[in-house]
Amino acid sequence: MRIVLASMRTAFLEAWTNRRSFWLQVTMMMANDLVWIAFWVLLFNKVGDVRGWDARRIVLLYAVLTTAAGLALGLLANSRRIGRMAVEGELDPVLTLPVRPLVYLLTKRVDTSLLGDLIFGPVLFFTLAGPTVERTAIYIAGSLASAAVLVAFLVLLGALTLLIGGKGEQSDLGFQAVLIFSSYPLDIFGGATKFMLYTAIPAAFVTGLPVRLVDEFHAGTFALLLGGAAFISLLAAMSFKLGLRRYSSGALWTRA
Amino acid sequence: MAVIEARQLSKSFPGRGRKAAPVEAVRDVTFSIDAGERIAYIGPNGAGKSTSIKMLTGILHPSAGAATVLGYVPWTERRHLAQRIGTLFGQRSQLWFQLTPRQAYRLLGDIYGLTRAEAASRVDELGLLLEATDLFDRQVKGLSLGQRMRCELAASLLHSPEVLFLDEPTIGLDLVAKQRFREMIVRLNEEKGTTVFLTSHDVADIEHVARRVIVINHGHVIYDDRVSTMRRSILSHKLLEVRFDESPGVLDIAAVEILKHSGLGYKLIVDTTVRSIKDVLDELLDRFVVGDISVEDPPLEDVIGNIYESPER
Repeated sequence: MRIVLASMRTAFLEAWTNRRSFWLQVTMMMANDLVWIAFWVLLFNKVGDVRGWDARRIVLLYAVLTTAAGLALGLLANSRRIGRMAVEGELDPVLTLPVRPLVYLLTKRVDTSLLGDLIFGPVLFFTLAGPTVERTAIYIAGSLASAAVLVAFLVLLGALTLLIGGKGEQSDLGFQAVLIFSSYPLDIFGGATKFMLYTAIPAAFVTGLPVRLVDEFHAGTFALLLGGAAFISLLAAMSFKLGLRRYSSGALWTRA
Repeated sequence: MAVIEARQLSKSFPGRGRKAAPVEAVRDVTFSIDAGERIAYIGPNGAGKSTSIKMLTGILHPSAGAATVLGYVPWTERRHLAQRIGTLFGQRSQLWFQLTPRQAYRLLGDIYGLTRAEAASRVDELGLLLEATDLFDRQVKGLSLGQRMRCELAASLLHSPEVLFLDEPTIGLDLVAKQRFREMIVRLNEEKGTTVFLTSHDVADIEHVARRVIVINHGHVIYDDRVSTMRRSILSHKLLEVRFDESPGVLDIAAVEILKHSGLGYKLIVDTTVRSIKDVLDELLDRFVVGDISVEDPPLEDVIGNIYESPER
């Protein structure tokens, strides 16, 4: 834990070096989020309820999504870069340190702009999503589980680069896909698409289940969310560990 | 006592394309290195140097063979090993570009389990040893390459490693910075007894740093002996480039042959087993009007060519 805290402190120090740029990026991201929310609220005010979804629920969805994205992509910014880092040989310096490589990799960089999401999400929840003690507790637990799923999914895609090769593009594609599907209500999808969102692109675990739980807690759904998060986290950690055995460093100009 | 042992260590990488044959980067490399030795592990680009060092530090898993470093198998006991070795890669940084080296050392101190006081005292000590104290509080992005390499070296030494692996640490440095860096490595070995394993494709690194040289080419170890032995048998020549201000006429200097000349510019080769380079330079400067002069080592490819041609091989 000492290493995790020290690593995150150093990552923050680096992000904080240029304070004006830091606050500019954070503010721009929050403004971007605000525009999205405004669009959805205006739309629902115009068309009313769609399959049980209204402006209040979409606000909740965005509160969960931006909080989880802020945690997964802002605080643990390397989660979506693991494949590319592996291809470019950037795992070398990490592997020469007496650390758990995945944990250290994830904590050694923050993405300033996505920290804007991490501020925006809770602000949105506490101002517009009807926070009660029970809803707040579930929102926090759900967002943490959602962030774990996001990180694990991206690590899994990065590990695929180690295992099957490529330039790390899987992570970019997966990142786009999971965020797009997570930003829409789960109930608008059905059949094979819905099955996919519980499996190949786990968007259901990122926003669908947490939002459903905040609105109406159900022990079985909560267990499914936590179980899903634990399963994909374990799968990601094992895949990364296995992938390291096939790591080829990849720095063509340093590989003698 | 051996601190590094490699036995028939091999590594191949998948070839490009489905039907491409695997690329054998390292083949059956075997050597043993004792505590306190200074090893130059040299070879031309593509010889297998970096792949070897990455297996010995636990970064890469070998395809075949075995190795131990300080009794650990590097790729299965990487974290234990990392606590006791230092690594420096000439093209990879352990520092944060936006931060100062001292800020990075604080994190590395935590990683190596040093207390705040131990880390601070060690940083002060390294600042003196590497003559870099004034660099530790400057942003890394503002340092020259030579300055940065000294700070990188301090990062590698923070936890007082018993073995130091250096992968092309002098690459890109100017002559003065290279020489300074080499002196620091030698001083570290002599004062602290740190075993030094240095990869390079620069012949000068052998002469200035190492006591023993292992030459690798096409993944194979082709030479493993003391530098003094190599100097006598293989590194027997220096190249001189001389520009005279006046025609030298007949250039008859003992142990010197003319490789080529054009106008007042001459490329000479000196047999240093017959005469020292200093003697030859003294004679040149005494007898002729010299405008410019430079001394070079023969290219590594020539050294390797000599190794293959050597009757002892």
